[in-house]
Amino acid sequence: MYDIRFTVNGQPEHATVPATMTLLDLLRDRLALTGTKEGCGIGECGACTVLLDGKPITSCLMLAVEADGHDIETIEGEAVGGGLSVLQQAFIDTGAIQCGFCTPGMIMSARGLLNRTPDPSDENIVEAIAGNLCRCTGYEAIIAAVRLAADRLAGAKQGRGQS
Amino acid sequence: MLGNFEYKRIRSIEEGCQYLAEAAGDGAVLAGGTDLLVEIRNGLKSPQLLVDCKGLDVLNVFSVDDSRSTIGASVALNQLIEHRVFRTTHPALADALASIGTYQLRNRATLVGNICNASPAADAAPVLLVLDAVVEVAGVEGPRTVPVRSFFAGVKKTTLKPDEIVTAIALPARSGLRTAFRKQQRIRGHDLAVVNAAGAYSPAKKVLKLAIGSCAPTPVLLDPIEVDSKDNEAFADHVIETVLRAVSPISDVRASAGYRNAVLPILVKRILHELLFEGSGA
Repeated sequence: MYDIRFTVNGQPEHATVPATMTLLDLLRDRLALTGTKEGCGIGECGACTVLLDGKPITSCLMLAVEADGHDIETIEGEAVGGGLSVLQQAFIDTGAIQCGFCTPGMIMSARGLLNRTPDPSDENIVEAIAGNLCRCTGYEAIIAAVRLAADRLAGAKQGRGQS
Repeated sequence: MLGNFEYKRIRSIEEGCQYLAEAAGDGAVLAGGTDLLVEIRNGLKSPQLLVDCKGLDVLNVFSVDDSRSTIGASVALNQLIEHRVFRTTHPALADALASIGTYQLRNRATLVGNICNASPAADAAPVLLVLDAVVEVAGVEGPRTVPVRSFFAGVKKTTLKPDEIVTAIALPARSGLRTAFRKQQRIRGHDLAVVNAAGAYSPAKKVLKLAIGSCAPTPVLLDPIEVDSKDNEAFADHVIETVLRAVSPISDVRASAGYRNAVLPILVKRILHELLFEGSGA
């Protein structure tokens, strides 16, 4: 067993884990953060996407023990203070959700994109979510959601600058 | 839960080699894990020990310039792809790396891992072959270097000994080389190459190097081809004939041998167009 220390959504965490446990299992089964989904388990569907030190990764292809010393962000960190994040609201407003299984991973990939590229092109968005499979929406609404969130965040920033 | 193994985060390369030597062939080096953990999950590999090299700062650095580039074993693909100088210095390699997997995977997967996994379809391999890359290796008996053309031993097999760790890949001076990478795949982000190919052309020496992936048990580097550009059509036919003689594609889940034989000439022609038939030497 291995003692690990890390943060999840800014909260310091400590866990004792076997070598063979994935980060995904640690989040879901130990920390009860079940917003992160397991789809394929082999890094192809993106449902388990979380941010590792601010960058999107598939948590099914990372060992829990590898998280030692790192910062993890999950979908549960999006809604702060009980309100939805700009990204979450944009997904609702554009109808980018049907069954919802891919949504946490989509939003974490989009979060990673907006972290590095606040004003992404449609091409940037497509590239960022190419590793997130959605079998319901056909992606158009999801791309529109990320675009809308980027515009709203830019608008909010501009508004603050003016006031 | 994945398989049944122990995990060691090493504090020095020597320590890692020692652990691997003790594991006597039952150990594996864990870098990004994007191939290794899938193979463990699918029961294709069952190492008893994973040696995680990512804690070592010395493996997490890369340097890029016109005279020589070195890329450490823990450097993630996106670190290279998103590095402006790397992209402009090694555009074909950056193209190849950007075509691998998904954005999430490229945040974990490494260049060294791509070749150590030794898939015949490894996208970095053809480019590294035409660039004459050198693999820097550490083992219990000390360090050594292996030209990448002597690195692949078969499907998923390398010439590394069980105790050895690849520490870096070194790329020699570009010296005016023009390079190109092409890949045929069924869908972006979720599939390996059906065929991939890279070319490097030296306008000064009038020599073309080509390497082909996914068409033989290992990526294939062709003998250097002297370029006679008087008749582009005839030269292209000659190159394609040479390429098809050098490969032995099989039919598998991704494509038939016939399809590979049909696609390969098209990729080679595109590379010839980019490197030789269009534009001026730069």
